[in-house]
Amino acid sequence: MSEADKMDVIIIGAGPAGIACAYILAQAGKEVLVIERAETPGAKNVTGGRLYTYALEMVDKGLTEEAVLERKITHEQIMILSQDKAISIDYHDPSFNREGQVPQSYSILRAQFDEWFAAKAEEIGAMVACGVKVDDLIEKDGKIIGVVAGEDEMYADVVIAADGVNSFMAQKAGLIKDISAHQVGVGIKEVIELPPDTIQERFNLKPDEGAARMILGCTEGIHGGGFLYTNRESISLGCVLMPEEAAAHGKSVHEIFQDLKMHPAIYPLIAGGESIEYGAHLVSEEGYRGIPQKIYREGFLMIGDAAGFVINTGYSIRGIDLAIVSGVAAARAVLNTSASDQVGPAYLQELKNIELLPTMQAVDGYADLLAIPRIYSSYPRIAVGVFERLFTVNGQKPNSLIKNTKEVIKSNGVSMWQLFKDVLRGYKSI
Amino acid sequence: MSKIIACYKWVADEADIRINPDQSVDITKAKGKISDYDKNAIEAAVEAAGKLGGQAVTLTFGNAGAKPSIKDALSRGPEEAYWVKAAEADQADGAVTARALAAAIQKIGDSSLVICAEGASDTYARQIAPRIGAILNLPVISSVIIMTFEGNSLVATRKLEDSLETVKVELPAVVAVLPEANNPPLPGLKAVMAAGKKPLTEYSAADLGIDFKPRNQVVAVKGYVMNRKNIIFDAGDSVSRVKELAAALRKEGVL
Repeated sequence: MSEADKMDVIIIGAGPAGIACAYILAQAGKEVLVIERAETPGAKNVTGGRLYTYALEMVDKGLTEEAVLERKITHEQIMILSQDKAISIDYHDPSFNREGQVPQSYSILRAQFDEWFAAKAEEIGAMVACGVKVDDLIEKDGKIIGVVAGEDEMYADVVIAADGVNSFMAQKAGLIKDISAHQVGVGIKEVIELPPDTIQERFNLKPDEGAARMILGCTEGIHGGGFLYTNRESISLGCVLMPEEAAAHGKSVHEIFQDLKMHPAIYPLIAGGESIEYGAHLVSEEGYRGIPQKIYREGFLMIGDAAGFVINTGYSIRGIDLAIVSGVAAARAVLNTSASDQVGPAYLQELKNIELLPTMQAVDGYADLLAIPRIYSSYPRIAVGVFERLFTVNGQKPNSLIKNTKEVIKSNGVSMWQLFKDVLRGYKSI
Repeated sequence: MSKIIACYKWVADEADIRINPDQSVDITKAKGKISDYDKNAIEAAVEAAGKLGGQAVTLTFGNAGAKPSIKDALSRGPEEAYWVKAAEADQADGAVTARALAAAIQKIGDSSLVICAEGASDTYARQIAPRIGAILNLPVISSVIIMTFEGNSLVATRKLEDSLETVKVELPAVVAVLPEANNPPLPGLKAVMAAGKKPLTEYSAADLGIDFKPRNQVVAVKGYVMNRKNIIFDAGDSVSRVKELAAALRKEGVL
């Protein structure tokens, strides 16, 4: 092994996790190589998406100001759909975006963001090799010591897998098995181009403002939901479905998504737009309990989606910020630990210090709440049904709200006992 | 050491170019790439350097946006890159581009071979190799698919309409290769890593004293919609319909 074939750290995958890690390591003077399969970073990505800025500020203060972002999120929205009806909740909180402070979150287009982020890391001294696929890991005496890409071998003190959900590198390292269907959702997303003015008008936004919306009840009873983010000149609209249930349902994922697009409360938002991108990808769905038993071994760490760092609470989805934060934690562990066999444990400790694992643990119960099948079928119908009766005025004497609600619940085939159990389960979960 | 210079152009990726309903062309969202045919030119230079001896280098004429091309080009094997960096490249016609490249070739110095693609994947004007040859007073061989070397001579096979012509020329010379000339491999990890460390020489307009004024000016770029003939052969049985179809295709010169 010659000097030229050895780096301090090799990171596989130039997404937010890998680049955040490379950025900090390069800044500290480490020789870092990031290997990316796509021709440009972000080219293969399908994320929604939204970036919470605290994570980027953790990498380097002031980074958000330079980043290639879309709109600062000023409107947090939840939408419940049933048949052709819809309930919309729009939460507007100026404290998330105070003058002189970094806004809490931005919508982003990953192809642009990732390319910018990777270029920043390169500026600081990391080496990013694109268009190269890593085929295998090199192991010696039980320790991961390098990677194989085509005919080339490269060695490093630490190899970091940042290659996303269903990490092939983690599989090669023997830390995870091939995924099973219940661990992941199938995400489908379309980017629909519209003039900025139109987007601002339709979502009631100022020119730099944006909306993030979660959509419930749009999955024909299948475990899953929809999402919508406003970008500067486009809307990212998509949905995530559990593949097993979707397969049993009969309708294809594409058809269910098409129905969402055509819903009378969604279609006016995208009408006249042009689809400029369409993609599908797997999404980790299990939250804290989906994190593999071991996310390191000697000479090897897993970060970002590869380690299952995704939170879905039903009202928000977080993945990009957790990816960045885990990259930061890995970089700190590498920098602060000299004994090779202690890097892994140090990484785990950093994940706790940085509050990533505690955060995921704290919202772990949402997975139980979101496992209630009625959340995707009868409950959206009940909610919409109650609103329907609430707003119906036809000159006849209205029933009391309680009576109406009871009737709606009953007509949707849910017993009061079932409802009570679900509420209790929800209460315990969250 | 004598250099073998591969010229390439940084073009908009046609996959990202959009033609709007009003036929206007939108390249604002297009990423750049090395013109596909120029990848053959670069590979041909690397192969020629292996056979002939000498050093394969790349040369491009482009604005600041062409920067990513340097690493890409070098990852394909050449040892050095040269870049005539000028904003005027955007408006350049074939004459300006050839002047810029020829001036750079002279500045680079000792070179045995200049290799271009037959045309660029955006304009495919096929002017650069002949014009460079004219400016530098060098022989030009176009449509080349095979290159072998005998001493200081190049023996090149040219692909013509329906025949192959073999030409022998004493070096230095300018060659335009066709995509059939080779299959450029995808750069490997070490090649990509090495590319960032290879030397780059930038030339400015002042370095070369080039007249950047184009005589051709692009006044419009519009989408082109081919009018289909919409002929349907629906009379008679299938055998006669196929015969009619074949006859019609033959008449159009397609078969």
